[in-house]
Formats: sequence, C-alpha cells, structure tokens
Amino acid sequence: MGNFKDRVKQSTPIEGLSSYVMKTGAMDIVTLSGSFLGGALYSQSHKEQAATITASMLDKGTKKKDKYEISDQLESVGAEIHFMSNRHHTQFSAHCLKENLNTVIALLVEQLRTPSFPEKELSTLKTRVVGNLTRAKEDTKKLASIGLLQTLYPEDHPNYRFSLDHTINSVEKLTRSDIIDFYNKRYGLGSINIVATGDVDANELEDCIKNEFGGWATQDTGPLPIRCKANESKRENKTIHVPDKTSADLYIGQPIGIDRDHEDYYALMMGVYILGGNFSARLMQTVRDQQGLTYGIGSSVSGVAFGADGYWSTWGTFAPDAISKGKKATIEEIEKWYKSGVAEEELSAKKTTITGAYKVGMDTTSGLTAQILTNAERGKPIGHLDTYPDIINSLSLDKVNGAIKSYINPDQLVTVAAGTFE
Amino acid sequence: MSPKNNQLHDGFDFVKSSGGIEEYTLKKNNLTVLVLEDPSAPVATFMVTYHVGSRNEAIGHTGATHLLEHLMFKGSRNFNKEKGTAIWTELQNLGAQINATTWNDRTNYFEVVPSEHLERAIAIESDRMRYAFLRDEDRQPEMTVVRNEYERGENSPFDVLDKNIWATAYQAHPYHHSTIGWRSDIENVSTERLQEFYHTYYWPNNATATVIGDFDKKEALSLIKKHFGEHTACENKIPEMYTEEPAQEGPRRTTVKRIGQTSIVGVAHKTPEGLHRDTYSFQLLGKILADGKTSRFHKKIIDQGLATSIFMYDFPFKDNGLFITYAFLTPGVDHHKVEEIILNEYEDTIKNGVSSSELNRAKAQMRASVAYSRDGSHAVASALNEAIAIGDWTFYTTFMDNIESVSGSEIQEAAKTYLKENQSTVGYFIALDPK
Repeated sequence: MGNFKDRVKQSTPIEGLSSYVMKTGAMDIVTLSGSFLGGALYSQSHKEQAATITASMLDKGTKKKDKYEISDQLESVGAEIHFMSNRHHTQFSAHCLKENLNTVIALLVEQLRTPSFPEKELSTLKTRVVGNLTRAKEDTKKLASIGLLQTLYPEDHPNYRFSLDHTINSVEKLTRSDIIDFYNKRYGLGSINIVATGDVDANELEDCIKNEFGGWATQDTGPLPIRCKANESKRENKTIHVPDKTSADLYIGQPIGIDRDHEDYYALMMGVYILGGNFSARLMQTVRDQQGLTYGIGSSVSGVAFGADGYWSTWGTFAPDAISKGKKATIEEIEKWYKSGVAEEELSAKKTTITGAYKVGMDTTSGLTAQILTNAERGKPIGHLDTYPDIINSLSLDKVNGAIKSYINPDQLVTVAAGTFE
Repeated sequence: MSPKNNQLHDGFDFVKSSGGIEEYTLKKNNLTVLVLEDPSAPVATFMVTYHVGSRNEAIGHTGATHLLEHLMFKGSRNFNKEKGTAIWTELQNLGAQINATTWNDRTNYFEVVPSEHLERAIAIESDRMRYAFLRDEDRQPEMTVVRNEYERGENSPFDVLDKNIWATAYQAHPYHHSTIGWRSDIENVSTERLQEFYHTYYWPNNATATVIGDFDKKEALSLIKKHFGEHTACENKIPEMYTEEPAQEGPRRTTVKRIGQTSIVGVAHKTPEGLHRDTYSFQLLGKILADGKTSRFHKKIIDQGLATSIFMYDFPFKDNGLFITYAFLTPGVDHHKVEEIILNEYEDTIKNGVSSSELNRAKAQMRASVAYSRDGSHAVASALNEAIAIGDWTFYTTFMDNIESVSGSEIQEAAKTYLKENQSTVGYFIALDPK
C-alpha cells in the first residue's frame, strides 16, 4: 500500500511495451490490466463503433482456436479475460489464479495477435449490441447524459456523444473489412502499458511478456490532437420524454475550458467535490438529507483527459412530479456555493476524505491495478501516485474559491431532464 | 474447541475458529464477534450484522427494516449533527467507505477505514445499536428519499419482473415482498412502528460484529468490549418468524406489460433453505447452465441470437429460495421459445445429469471465484455477511470443501427434486410499442 515508487517494478521488457508489477498480500490471485491507444476516437468518421466491435470480436476466435476452445481453456481454470474500448484506448484485463498466469497471458496475447474475426460471429455480435443499445433507449440516466454532452460539445469533440439511434446505425453498417482495417491500423506494440498486481513475480511476468509479445508489429499511434473546443456556454433547458418511468434523471452542467494538466484543475475538482462529491457534501446534505427530494445527487468534473477541455456536472434522480422542485433546490445550492465559496473547515475535511479514500480504494488488487494503469496512460511517472495526497493537501482556500469563480457560471447552466413528464 | 493462549481475551468467551476466522462471545451481552486478521493493506473493515431483514416484516410495514436502516444514519446519542459529529461526516472525513444494506434475512452496517481509525467505527456502531434517535422529523424527509429509491427500482424492467416473480412464487412467506417494500407501506409506516421494530431487534444478542483487515486482535477486542460492553442483552426473547410457505401445487405465471424496449423471460423454481446440502448442487448447476461462453444456455440461447444476455441466480437464504434464470430477449424473439429452451435444459439435467467435464469446469470456476472473493477486507466482509445472515458463518469458510464434495449424481437428484413444473413460476416482461 502506498509508496508506489519503491513497490512497483516498472520496466520495458520489449520496445513499445511498458510493464508495472506490484506484489501485494493478496493470496494466490493475480489481476492484470493493459491498454494501448486506439479507442473510439481513432475510428474513422461514421465508423465510431469499429474500436468497440473489434475489441468485442477478440474472444470470438483466433487462427488456431474457435471461441469455444478459448472459453473452455479459461473456464476450466476459472480465469477470465475481457477486452473493451473507451474513447482513447483499447483495454484488456485478466483475472486468474497465480498458477495459471502464464497460460492466461499466452491466450490473451494469442487473442490480441491472431484474431480470426469470423463473419458469422460478427453478425451475432452486432445483433446483441443493437439489442442492448435498443434497451438503453429507455434508460433515463443515459439519455439525459447524452443530451447534456450534445449540448455542451460539437460533434468533433472527444466529449461529444452520439444519439443511440446514430450508434445503432453505425453498428449495423460495420463490415468485417471495417474491423480488419481498424485492427491492422491500431493493434500492435507502441503504446502498450501492462499492470499486474497480487501474488505475482515481476521477473517471471517480464519473461512471459517478452516471449508472448516479442515480434508483434509496431504501430505509431500517438495521442490525438484536440480538434475543437466546447460550445460557447449558454443557459439552456432540455426535456427528454421517456414513457412509463417512475423516476426521472436530471443533469445540470457546463464546460470548464481546462484539462487535467491545467494548474487550476485540482482546485476546481476540490471545489466541485465539496459541492457534491460524497454523502457528506453539500448537495446530499441539503437536497437529500434535509429536503428528502432525491435518493441520490452528486457532482463531479469529467472529460478532462488527454488535453480535452472538460465539464462539470451535477446528476440526481427525482420523482417526475418533483423534478421542478428538485431542480430549483439544486440550482439554489449551486448558486449559494458559487456566491459564498467554500469554508476552510470544509476544505480541511475534504482533504482528509480524498486522501483517506485514496488509501482505502487501494485495498483490492483491482483498485490498485486501475490506479496504476490510469496513471501510466496519462504518461505520469509512477511516483506521481505517491505525490497525489500532497497535491490535495497543498490546495489553499483562495485557490479553490478562485477556481470556482473562474470556471463556474450559474447564469449559464445547461439542464437536461429525462423521464415521464405531464 | 479449547482456546489457545492467544484466543483468551478478557470479557470474551472463545467459541470456535474456521478458515482463519475466530468467533468470540462478549460475556456481558452475548454479542457475537468474528475476527480475521489480514495485514495485506493498512485498512480494516468493521461490520455489524443484525439478524433482522424483510422476512421479519408483515403487511402494513413492508420495507420497515430498510427505512429503519436509513434512519440509523440520522443521529444517535454521541454522533449527531447537533454535536457536529454526524455519522457520515465523522467517517467520510476520514476517507472511510461507509454504508449499510438490508436484505431478506439481515441488515448490515459497515465501515472500511484506515486502520488507525478503527475505534471511531466501533464507537459509532455501538452508539447507534441502542441510542439511535429515530425522530419523526427525520422520518418525513427520509421517507421521500426511500420512495425515490423505490421509484428508481421501478424504472428497471428487470427489478420489476424479479419482484413479481418472488411475489407470485411466495404467497404466505414474507419473501413474497421485496426488501424495499410496497410503496404505500413506505409512505405510511409510522415512526412509532419503526421505533418498536428497532427496540425489538437491535440488541447485542441479536447481532454479529465482524472485524477484518490490518489490526491488532487484542486491541480490537478490547475496543469492542469498551464500547459494546456498555449494553445489556435484551431481556425479552427476540421474536422468531414462524410463517411457512404452503406447498405449491401447480405452476404459476406472472406478466408485466409496459411501454419500452425490454423483453425478459424469467423461469424460477423453489429451492431448499440455504444451509441445506442441495444448495451446493444448485450453485454448481447454475455455473454449468449459465456461467461462461461454454455454458449450456450461452450456446443454446445467446449464440443463436435469441437473447442479448442471460444469467441465473440462486442466493442461499435462511428459508427457501428460488433458482431463477433470466434471459433478456433480442428484439422480436418470442418469449415462449426461450422459456421452452430453458425448461428443456432442466428436463435434460433431470434425465441425463451433468457430464464430468461440466462438473469439473464448474468447480474450477467456483474455486477461482472464491479466491477472488477474498480480495480486500470489504470483499471478505460482504461474503461473510451473507453466511452470517443464513445462520452459520462457517458456511463461508467451508463452502469450497462442500462444493468439491458434490457429485454429478447429487446434482441430478437435486434437479429431480426441485426443478419440477409444479414448483415453477415463470415471468414475462413484455415491451409494449409506444405507438
């Protein structure tokens, strides 16, 4: 726990691949995660789903094994391998008993390096994905979130989200050659980070990585330039009608114009945390605890990775007939927070909260692995994880209140509600 | 079991140990205490499990256990807003993970804290065990909070269908109603009724305190004695829930229709109480049928494009449970077709059993998932909590040995005994076209 610099063994077993290994007290189990640049943003226009579908096709067969042989090999030892993609990265993860680690890595790399992309499997997968997306059309939270991001950002921005109908259409049109094309351009050595924690030996893992990944083609994929900025901030209210729903979702937000590396980021993040970062933050204490209007409400800063100008938002759920009251109460709290700023004792308490939670959050191998991988993806040295509590503890009251004044404008909030309204 | 020297602690009786966990009883009031030292991270989880859940509720106050759980955060003698020591603030300001959950057979309160703050968690749980405020002015706004939690659940087609299947399968037994309760009961249960509930069940001799993680056992037990030792045991006998579900004498069906995009089939059969030997057979059968891409349902339903996802559960409860398979249908697929495939597979298990390779694979999957379930003190506490709830915490420590001893013929026998048409409840969630 803690002291990452000394406890994580960082190395480059082969060119274009960095590994981070941390042995912990967890008995017999290993959690492994990795990623490389090549997420949805790297797909061609109108083929945005190519990254996701390509990743989902990796367990459907390799040149040597069909999907049942892959699954059988994993399930016979109770191991799991998953592939997925987000905006920037294609990611993989594995969870297994210590004794099976080398076998599981060999299989994972076989899936990454020699996928067969069977046509019939692609067709079945597309049907499933479309079915899931169709079901999401009644998910009030998802619809409100998409509504907010479509208002805050133009289509070319990494934080923009397409409508579910657009995404369904994009999935339906994808062909096997689109998948192969994406695979050939994006998969390979170059930007791979691999993290393993638990009952794992760093030297053995490095040898295994060398053996399995050695000789794979290199891709010169780099971070994407940000092509555009957020839309100009202006007050806007949107309502999305979803029939037969007993609870509505409300998003309130606006762009902040800065990314995670900006000098004001942590001060703003702290200010927003004091507003709605946890149960004892202002929004839960007033809108839920005192007024009883919601089961859950919170606020956060998002979309700030890899140079993107992010946004801050508040999300809460309300009975449809209480949405106006809930919205009013939330905005009043935001205005009060903006006008008066936060107090020294709040800042002090939340510093202990965030640094303590940072420690508690690393109680599991999955928590540790996620922290180390995210840090590596952001290009930060491993020692950055040790300095995070110091960064938080060094924030001054003036800096936090200054950031709230600089990046929040209560007169130009965008609100989006999704649910069944009269 | 005779205690060793390091199991002798002032004020406690050593009861037994299993799988590294030691059980003690606090002599003063019969509080059960479980300790598991694990120094792998400088974090400790403290949890109090009360042996009361929604199975202890009746018509008119369904959801009361859960609503009471919410009110338990509103303040107690030493930890309250008026003193500037509100529970959430006290603990979250330390970076603790804190919450509580309610289910059929138990209510648990837990804190995951940096180890040096373990005493704060113990002090808070002890204080609210007997000195919670439970004021009417707190119930009013909290009722609407819980009602919104209910409304959020009702937004989910799966939650609604699952609730309907349990309500159809169980008619007399309180598993009939879900833990959140019926809306009108949430809205109308009185504060007095909740207080009565609290004073009936929230006693040290109806609770188990668990400490897991990086701590000194002697010191932790001493802190538990210091704080919980101030309470007496309940003078009255804790009431037992005695309602039994009458035998089911035919198949049952339930249907929910709503405008939307989701169609689901659920097929449920009654299973024995959690501590019954057949529980282990059903845990393995669930893996064989629905866990992983080589499982029978994955091949026959998902791979055929009939459903976008499928899963089953058979949670071991204090009383009888349900072995349920759920399939989320691909748009346009007929509910009956998928129901028939599920039932045919049950029939095949009854007639032909399971193969040794299926059984071996299911055991390997279980072995690994048990190992993963020990990743972190809170993960251990969560799993242990469910064993405490069904009446024997060693269910957790002996689970894998029992699983290893299950034979294929036992699984076939269990299927023959319980997967009968007359014991079934089938539910459909039907999406209606918005037009």
